[in-house]
Amino acid sequence: MSSIQPTYSQLLSLAIPQMILVGTALLAMSIDLLALRRATLSTRSAATAILGSLGCAAAAAYIAIIHPNGNLLGGVLLGNAFIQLLQIAILALTIAVLLLAAGSTFTRHVGEYVLLILMATVGMLFLVATQDLLVIFVSIELLSLSLYTLAAFNKQSRFSWEAALKYFLFGGMSAAFLLFGFSLLYGLSNSTSLSEIGAHIHGLSPLLAIAIVCVAVGLGFKVAAAPFHFWAPDIYQAAPAPSAAFIASGSKVASFIVFFQLASIGFAGAQGSATWGHFVRGWIPVIALVAALSMVLGNFVAIRQSSVRRLLAYSAVAHAGYMLLALTAHTPQSLAALVYYVVTYSAATIGAFAVLSIVEAQTGSDRIGDLPGLSRREPVLSFCLAIFLLSLAGIPPLAGFFGKFYLFVAALQSSPESMPLLWLVILAIATSAVSLYYYLRVLKASYITTPESSAALTSGRVSGEEIPRVLCVLLAAAVVLLGAWPSLLLRPLLNALPRVF
Amino acid sequence: MTWIVRYVCLIPALPMLAAGISALLPQRSRKPAAGLAIVSMAASFALALCAFAAALSNPSPQVFNFSWLQFGDQTLALGWLLDPLTAVMLVMVTFVGLLIFIYSTGYMEHDENFTRFFCFLALFAGGMLGVIIANSLLLLFMCWEIVGLTSYLLIGFWYQNPRAAAAAKKAFITTRIGDLGFLIGMVWLYAQAHTLLFYDSGRGALESGAVSHLAVTTTIYGLTLSSAIGLLIFCGAMGKSGQVPLHVWLPDAMEGPTPVSALIHAATMVAAGVFLIARIYPLMSAHGVEVVTPTIALQVVTWVGAITALFGATVAVAQWDIKRILAYSTVSQLGYMMIGLGVGGPAVGMFHLITHAFFKALLFLGAGSVIHGCSGEQDIRRMGGLRKYMPLTFLTYGIGMLALSGFPLVVSGFWSKDAILYSAHHWSVSQLPFYMASLGALLTAFYMTRQVCYVFFGTLRLPGHGPVSHSEPDSEDTRHHGAGHPHESPAVMTAPLAILAFFAFALGFLGTPLWPWFQSFLNGDHSVAAEHEPGLVATMAASSVIALLGIFLGWLLYGRQSIATCEAPDVLERAQPQTFRVLHQAYFIDAIYDATFVRLTRWTAKLADLLDRFLFHGIVQAISFGVLGLAWVDSFVDNYVVNFGFDSSWRSISMGGRAMAALQGGRVQAYLRYIGLALVALVLYLLWGVAR
Repeated sequence: MSSIQPTYSQLLSLAIPQMILVGTALLAMSIDLLALRRATLSTRSAATAILGSLGCAAAAAYIAIIHPNGNLLGGVLLGNAFIQLLQIAILALTIAVLLLAAGSTFTRHVGEYVLLILMATVGMLFLVATQDLLVIFVSIELLSLSLYTLAAFNKQSRFSWEAALKYFLFGGMSAAFLLFGFSLLYGLSNSTSLSEIGAHIHGLSPLLAIAIVCVAVGLGFKVAAAPFHFWAPDIYQAAPAPSAAFIASGSKVASFIVFFQLASIGFAGAQGSATWGHFVRGWIPVIALVAALSMVLGNFVAIRQSSVRRLLAYSAVAHAGYMLLALTAHTPQSLAALVYYVVTYSAATIGAFAVLSIVEAQTGSDRIGDLPGLSRREPVLSFCLAIFLLSLAGIPPLAGFFGKFYLFVAALQSSPESMPLLWLVILAIATSAVSLYYYLRVLKASYITTPESSAALTSGRVSGEEIPRVLCVLLAAAVVLLGAWPSLLLRPLLNALPRVF
Repeated sequence: MTWIVRYVCLIPALPMLAAGISALLPQRSRKPAAGLAIVSMAASFALALCAFAAALSNPSPQVFNFSWLQFGDQTLALGWLLDPLTAVMLVMVTFVGLLIFIYSTGYMEHDENFTRFFCFLALFAGGMLGVIIANSLLLLFMCWEIVGLTSYLLIGFWYQNPRAAAAAKKAFITTRIGDLGFLIGMVWLYAQAHTLLFYDSGRGALESGAVSHLAVTTTIYGLTLSSAIGLLIFCGAMGKSGQVPLHVWLPDAMEGPTPVSALIHAATMVAAGVFLIARIYPLMSAHGVEVVTPTIALQVVTWVGAITALFGATVAVAQWDIKRILAYSTVSQLGYMMIGLGVGGPAVGMFHLITHAFFKALLFLGAGSVIHGCSGEQDIRRMGGLRKYMPLTFLTYGIGMLALSGFPLVVSGFWSKDAILYSAHHWSVSQLPFYMASLGALLTAFYMTRQVCYVFFGTLRLPGHGPVSHSEPDSEDTRHHGAGHPHESPAVMTAPLAILAFFAFALGFLGTPLWPWFQSFLNGDHSVAAEHEPGLVATMAASSVIALLGIFLGWLLYGRQSIATCEAPDVLERAQPQTFRVLHQAYFIDAIYDATFVRLTRWTAKLADLLDRFLFHGIVQAISFGVLGLAWVDSFVDNYVVNFGFDSSWRSISMGGRAMAALQGGRVQAYLRYIGLALVALVLYLLWGVAR
């Protein structure tokens, strides 16, 4: 508690990006309701989405130019180079999602839709910029409540409601666990600040064990790790494409960062060990078990999927397993690897959802069996899809490969002599080889299999998909660029890290 | 350092730029291509004059070096320099080149590939000027190769003619043999001296530090390193300058257009070899200890030059083709230049180079004018009496002939040749080169008189006498002027002749023994004073007698009785048919090469082909069959062993996936139950550990 007296100017300077977003959200909704009342639906969605993107861009520009630094009330709200990078990355992903939403026509309430996306983004920006339990919880709730609504936004689809309801119930329950875990942590340490909590915890007590597991459940739900992933396939499949992409991308970034901070700072006194055959109880073996289960379950179940979206959902579970590997290593290097991985993964996932949303608008289906003919009908789109999926599979010139490589190296180097995580890394490599199988199934369908009807070869362009098309190409270019030149993102990350630890 | 040293690189760069631009021009833009080449050459000439003025005021070498590329801790530097040698050559090449460019616009007027011709000519000029200004053996070598390439391109300019194509190939391959030696010498020099720069403020390869190191180190047979490297580089010079035994390409190169023969194969490129030896003269002449005799390298240069001089002169006596006579004459004169370098140093050799460049260019352009006027006829037996039809050409050609013959006192060729003979006479090693050179000089005067008698005197034997051979396909002329009526060439061709004729006279007076300005300028001392050396007048008298005797003999045999018909055999042929045949076939050297080297190469190629076809092909086939067999076995194992195992394991994996997917029943209550189970399991796991 270094600075008891909060200076409001400091608060203002740290929270201005969030305030810009809130202002933009309200502006977008009022413009939609007032100025665009007589405009067509596609004009309205494009206008509001672009307005929202401009707001995000303004917030990102503010962060990039002003570099708001500071520490408010001992970690309630932080600003440093690393957080700035994360916030810019989240804003960039939000812009991608908004551009994807610019072509959507599933709802007439486009103003509210953009407002909710921006509110969720505000939650994420707070989430990565805090080390205080209360702010974490409030931010997670702001994020989650927005996401529940976003998932339910397609009111014409029964499946969308159903999935959203499951998501809500699931989320509510895991939020209860999280809050229970937080209350136990407060009880143990008499503080809500992560560093204070870490300072008060020495060794594993029964109460702490329950707290750790509750936190793992609550955040495991957010990152869709097994066995807390059951909501994910339904949401990925039934929610509107921008909502699903948003849940799969930006929300993951924020959740993983807060998970990492909670585990490595808050539970610093009860690490334990996950060395094969020498498990020492603490938070690390819990995360390691969850990670292993996620990798195995995600990859193997994905093999059986016939819907590309469900396939992406299970592959997301597997990727969550890989990323939890970075938590178990909990070194600065692994944090950098985690950020690089989650950002590139999010870009590829948004891209895949963008391609799928266009394909669905044309054929009304996301089944692998309906993909044949895509490469002839839409050569650019199917090439972008190939780039995204191969990046997710981790094929060398693309960003996904470097992300995996750097992550595994960071996991092994956390203690180079004994390499306690070797078994987990071997499991990750083995299961990611399995993952190539189902990604290639999708590509085989779109490139090699000949379509049954010649109708699949004729272009059925739907209006309002120009912006998502451009988005696909941009994201594919970004994936290739980050793969070919990883230091573009890694160098600033590694430069920013020493100020965190 | 004056500004001109920095910008001396523009002199080769301008023609190269012109070549690059005209390479992009369409075929029909004839005027722009010729204009570009001529303007760039004129600008280079102006710059060369400035450089010459700068060298006059400061004769010590001035350099501009820069590092070109770096590998490891070594830096490869390139650069250019300005010294009297460079300045003299620059002025000569740009001036002769400019005149020949202008002449070419007339000579090549009817050729459809006019644009390409000027592109190549300009590229040649750029390369040649690059050779001259280079201060690094590497840069010199690169430009040297550009020059070789353009020589190939221009000899084969009329590539539809198979003889031209073959001649181009021959020139390229023969000079390449010499260049191999050059390359090895260059690499060796770099290995020993750690630099390829000539002058680099004391650290250059031609400066005292490196040279004295090279001169005291001996290699095989007691040869000093400097001589060994110098001789290897001399191989390149032999190829380029047509020294025996690598001279064979030069007579054949006359298949190219006549301006090319004049510019490249008489005045400039073939002189590049002589220039190269003059450039590396400090290396060639380096003595380790105080010895009186010349170095091995210089002795070899002298002997090769003497043999070449005599060889070329004897062969030229028995040729019928007007350009082949001049070609063998060029071979012979290049030999004189080598003798001059070997016995008298760069000043002597270079003086003959410069004077020869002017009068040989004059002779070639005159020959071109004759050929042009006679509608492509090149056989001197079918000419005759042309002095009546082409008075201006006759006059200028006569001056060239006198210069080449060394007519006493008035022409430049006399003075330069006399300097060589004088130095050879005083050579400490042997008197033989002097006698060989003197005999060559006699023959030179003789064959030139023979040629002029055949071409310009007697009666015209051109019309209606047998088929006209069109080895130069500018037969367009026959359309404009009736066949067999020789005509004077246009002013654009005769004007350069007149200018060159003037210099064929005037240049000699720069280097007479009474006022040896040229020698002292090249040697870098300012004392322009007459040197009264013993035996000078005697040598002068001897060489005068030799030249006059040669001219008299020629007139006696060919001029006294005019040749009536073109079928009439040569006077010499009547007297000595066997000897004449040997000489006409140039000692059968081409035939000997065909029977030995060419055949050997063919056999080697055939052997390699057989090896390739049967041995290596067989090995490759065997390996491929082995691989195919392995692949078959592999495929068998894969299909019936691995696939079986894989299929069954895949089925179990698939079933496992289905079992796990069955967890996803779609009922949210079940999902929440799984969370609860997971929670309980994890907590129990942790608590069990705590309790223990």
